[in-house]
Amino acid sequence: MDAFPILLSFQVSLVATVLTLALGLPLAWVLARRRFPGHDVVEAAVVLPLVLPPTVLGYYLLVVIGARGPVGRLLGGLGIELAFTWRAAVLAACIGSIALLVKAAQAGFEAVDRRLEQAARTLGRSEWNIFWSVTLPLSWRAVFAGTVLAFCRALGDFGITLMVAGSIPGLTQTMPLAIYDYVQANQMREANLLSLVAVMTALLFLLGLGRLARLRF
Amino acid sequence: MVKAVLLCALSLVVSVVSPTVAQPKPPVLTVYGAADLTVAFREIAALFEKGTGTKVVLVLGSTGNLAKQIEHGAPADIFFAANASFVDDLQAKGATISETRQLYAQGRIVLAVPRDSKLPIQRLEDLRRPDVKRIAIANPEHAPYGRAAQEALQAAGVWDALKPRLVYGENIRHALQFIETGAVDAGIVALSVADTPAVRYVPIDPALHAPLNQIAAVVKRSTRPELALAFLQFVNGPEGRPIMKRYGFLLPGDF
Repeated sequence: MDAFPILLSFQVSLVATVLTLALGLPLAWVLARRRFPGHDVVEAAVVLPLVLPPTVLGYYLLVVIGARGPVGRLLGGLGIELAFTWRAAVLAACIGSIALLVKAAQAGFEAVDRRLEQAARTLGRSEWNIFWSVTLPLSWRAVFAGTVLAFCRALGDFGITLMVAGSIPGLTQTMPLAIYDYVQANQMREANLLSLVAVMTALLFLLGLGRLARLRF
Repeated sequence: MVKAVLLCALSLVVSVVSPTVAQPKPPVLTVYGAADLTVAFREIAALFEKGTGTKVVLVLGSTGNLAKQIEHGAPADIFFAANASFVDDLQAKGATISETRQLYAQGRIVLAVPRDSKLPIQRLEDLRRPDVKRIAIANPEHAPYGRAAQEALQAAGVWDALKPRLVYGENIRHALQFIETGAVDAGIVALSVADTPAVRYVPIDPALHAPLNQIAAVVKRSTRPELALAFLQFVNGPEGRPIMKRYGFLLPGDF
């Protein structure tokens, strides 16, 4: 049994979670704090990736970022290949998991007492500063919960990754894809072993994170 | 303090995982193949690797999915489909090299039951028995072996009667898993995957369905088409043929 899919999966999920946070936190904040035309449409659209069957979503994504797609051609012109690389797996994991983070973080931000933010504002703090010193410290449990969900969803993504990254052993074959491949090849011993390793590593990782979260920020 | 711990953890993670980004060393041949080839191709690829020093990366899955990926630029060197239509479609879109298009095998289907099954099932007509509650086939909409199963059931005159009892697998291996786990009472799968400990099977007369011609072609974007062609010849050469036959494929020249 090859350790590559495990390492790749953790690499992909970590990078994807960082990317999800970078995109999802501002989005969650805007949805929680600002009213704008189309607000409700955006709010609903965020969860659409959870509605579509993953392989179908992956296929649409492939049509866009593949060698013939608009984004694929644009990136190809810049010498960047996205489809069928580990970066495509990151994108797949991000799209599959961003809704979980945004919904959790939005609920967390909405639960923060606005008067505390107002108080900070009267003291001359910038919006950026208020977010980091008031909003986030008061809502970090929700954000943390969303992050853990997003990470786990990223770690387990199958359908989207299968379509946009392929299941190329040693290149883009993540843990879930490798386990599926073993099952398909009737190598149940390897499949069970890899599943066990996957579950145990994820469990240890999450326990570690949980411990970290109990520290005071 | 917490920030320092986080930073340490992050840098540790990065240093641990970054080597995995390294690409494998050439020459590497990436072979996209239909799910029914899973077992046979693992053996053949190992032999080819030993003989040529090439590393063969096998990407196996549903022919339809793989064809879509090749159409959109997947890094395949050669594509072994489970039928002809997907390769013809790719050819029409300019994704494969037309001169390399080749019939490499003919598939067969079998009637399979869980090994411990007590039901006396020998012929397609036996599936009408009322104690056969569920029957698995691959989805005839997109899986070539599923279509062949449907044709055989129609030719045997039992399709309409059995339709409410059918369970569709995503591909032929999925249909097999339904039988292996005993989730269904019987099923129709490819001979090439049926030889597993959990299953008993009897062959189905090939005259009952259109021939399952499996077609391969070298992918246009391949950087080593000559190596891809060499693999194609290897599959139908003195080393590949016995393995393909052992897994129940009929080979060009034999039919």
